Amino acid sequence: MESLIAELKAKIIAGFQLEGVTPADINSDEPIFGTGLELDSIDALELVAILEQDYGIVILERSVADKAFASLRALAEFVAANRT
Amino acid sequence: MSRRTPVITGSGIICAAGCGVAAVRESVRANRSGLGPLTLFSSPRYANHLVGQVRDNVDELAGNVRGSRSDKLSWIAAREALAAAGLASGLGKINPARAGVMLGATVGGMLGTERFLTAMLRENKHRFGPLRFHECAGAADLCAKKIGALGPVATLSTACSAGAMAILAAAELIEQGEADLMLAGAGDSLSRLTLNGFGSLLLLDPNGCRPFDARRTGISLGEGAAMLVIEAEETAVSRGAKILARFAGWGVSCDAFHATAPQAEARGALAAMQRALECSGLQPSEIDFVSAHGTATPDNDAMETRALKQLFGDRIPPFASVKRFFGHTLATSGAIKAVLAVQSLREQAVPGTLGFEVADEKLGLEPVREFRAQPVSHILSNSFGFGGNNVALVFERADLSCRSRREEAYFKAGSSQSLLTSAATKRGFAILGIGAVSAAGNSLAEIAAAFRSGGAANSAFAVPAVSPTAQAKVYASGDFGAEQFIEPAKRRKLSRLQQMTLVAARKSFSSGLAAVAPEKICVAIGTGLGSLNDTAAFVENMILKDERAPRPSLFTSSVHNSLASQIAIELNFSGLNSTPIQREISFETALWQGATELASGRAELALVGTADELNQYQLAAGMRWGWWHEVSLEIRPFAGALKNRERPLPGEGSAAVTLGNAKNVAPPLAFVSAIRIGRSENKDAEAEARWILQTLERDGIAAGDVDLLLTGANGLAKLDNFYRAIAGELSRLAGRNIACGAYKHACGEHHSASAFGFLTAVGLVCGEIAPELCTADKTALTTACHTVVLFTISQTGTKGMCCIRA
Repeated sequence: MESLIAELKAKIIAGFQLEGVTPADINSDEPIFGTGLELDSIDALELVAILEQDYGIVILERSVADKAFASLRALAEFVAANRT
Repeated sequence: MSRRTPVITGSGIICAAGCGVAAVRESVRANRSGLGPLTLFSSPRYANHLVGQVRDNVDELAGNVRGSRSDKLSWIAAREALAAAGLASGLGKINPARAGVMLGATVGGMLGTERFLTAMLRENKHRFGPLRFHECAGAADLCAKKIGALGPVATLSTACSAGAMAILAAAELIEQGEADLMLAGAGDSLSRLTLNGFGSLLLLDPNGCRPFDARRTGISLGEGAAMLVIEAEETAVSRGAKILARFAGWGVSCDAFHATAPQAEARGALAAMQRALECSGLQPSEIDFVSAHGTATPDNDAMETRALKQLFGDRIPPFASVKRFFGHTLATSGAIKAVLAVQSLREQAVPGTLGFEVADEKLGLEPVREFRAQPVSHILSNSFGFGGNNVALVFERADLSCRSRREEAYFKAGSSQSLLTSAATKRGFAILGIGAVSAAGNSLAEIAAAFRSGGAANSAFAVPAVSPTAQAKVYASGDFGAEQFIEPAKRRKLSRLQQMTLVAARKSFSSGLAAVAPEKICVAIGTGLGSLNDTAAFVENMILKDERAPRPSLFTSSVHNSLASQIAIELNFSGLNSTPIQREISFETALWQGATELASGRAELALVGTADELNQYQLAAGMRWGWWHEVSLEIRPFAGALKNRERPLPGEGSAAVTLGNAKNVAPPLAFVSAIRIGRSENKDAEAEARWILQTLERDGIAAGDVDLLLTGANGLAKLDNFYRAIAGELSRLAGRNIACGAYKHACGEHHSASAFGFLTAVGLVCGEIAPELCTADKTALTTACHTVVLFTISQTGTKGMCCIRA
């Protein structure tokens, strides 16, 4: 799980061009959006597209995304359970 | 009788719930939804979604009309509205010069463009034909041509509030005395872009929308068109037209909050509704029914019910959302609701909220469930668009007398001159700042230097759509220093065109102006074609990946009004926020909207401008059609060098100007007045010269004061000669030699070029640009340039002008 969390952190930093942010700066147990990373709801939806592109996970409902993005740990568990 | 009160004398509609007002009325009475399976095009991702597709044969119904599906839908609704107003066989007693068209649109010919791109990317077939009907302005141009309207003609694209915005803009033109009769409404077809776009935002409910229901998850996408004939009461009475309903007032606001999400506390929505009541002279208790925006997204319905509670307290009038009848028809949404509001006022009955079953405790409000009879005198109709562009309209029963005192604001007692004109008579609206991104440079000094060196330098633009090595010569903006104006965290979310627009806007808005209240600052940023590169990237992705993983950020920047709304968000301006998209006169339309907000007192500052960018598909089409090739000539106005099918080199850029009333803090660079838009059918130089003179005269400008007619001359002999002939006629009528000028050799040919022309005019009257660098006839100008008339006529005959004075 920790390696998947690290992988997701790297994707978030690269995908959102978070200059100066290191994986250590991202708390694995805090909500991904609406916190210190200055990522907004459009970024959350972009992450939905990244999950589909890279892990084949199709999210069509916002409630599913909201749960998955509760924290990086939650996201890693969601990805591990749903990846194709 | 208030002579210029806008009244409604005709309505027309086509949507999934039926073709024609009578058919849609039957669906609404019977609580029958028009949602059904998607068959218009194939969509692997959303194949099982219910959509509001028009089932009638649109091509057949439209008759002998060439255009996009949106254009055809628009004409079908327009034809019905005109017939209802007794204008089936023409304008009759109405003077064509006082009849206009104002439409909302967001999709335009995207459906055809998608087919073109699919054929190219999937089968390597190059069928550029549909691109001719890509533009959203097509419907307004088509309707104006069919009617023979020679008054103001324009298109507005404020996403899902565009139809409502177009209706109030039409009413405003009537109250100002710029027109006696307007066709107003909107038309939008379904497209894969919008379906995938809303899908990427997780805003679709596959089983059909459920407005205000506890289980709601999103919208159903729909299509259609709805139109009203709006005219001045005196016009309707004098020609014996039946008044169906009155247009009592309107309110506009911008959330200045987020690209797609509504502001949760409903500040913007509440402000729009409050302004609408104030404008109508009504108390909240006088509203009998609210036609809600009610899209059935979790956020919209929560925000809207909150706004209703704030406005009406514990006496909330019956409200309903009609979205389940025909889906969310985007720009058309506000126009359909206007047509249904007129119907409700005539029948004394209101529609129900189809799809609503389970009340949402969190909302604490329940909409009207089923069609029912009830007395209705006033209806408030809400439309909220992406970017937080909010519009509220108030419709009134025909036999009531409008209490609004707007007319007094526009017309001083006993004067026939409207305020738009008289506010400008002293000196005009003050030009407080200008900003540019262009091939010629990004400041007045750089632009002046480019003029001195004979124009802007062109560069090569790769066009892989033609071949891996194909290049087009263009006037490109190059590096415009975005990093100095936009911080990196924000920049990564903005399209290149959004960045160009924001840079120009920031340059035009000096810090000294920041003391003005945010709600008193309006933004009108036009565009001919919007963020083409992000739009193309979204559609390419959709086609090549079979709709897998659609990219939401590309979709949001493909929305035309993201250009204006991002400025509102970034600079916190919450007044009117609009995006005119009328080909070459997008800037002049934006200028008219800004001036109207200033003249009415609703705004103290107006930030107006335009932006357009180059794109390889647009260039590929032009190369295919023989417009451009490897040895294309640079733009040399009046040189007559272009031959056969050759066209002027394309360009791009953004220009913005901040206007205010003269009392504002910053010292003005110059003044602008005689702002007007219109349309011509024949290339008659004398008629154009007279139109210009008449516009100058009503703003108190003597023809003899005009030094230069600055035009869109671009090297095409036919166009250049026409502009020169107009300058010749102007000279004859004014009794002095008025030179003919040009600016496109410094910015290239594009839909936002006239905004660059405006900056050129400011440079001319400020003495920064030497007049002989812009003129054909160097002997014509013997003195410095103090008064410049900027005049632009588009390929389809719409035209605009303004006068810039030192």
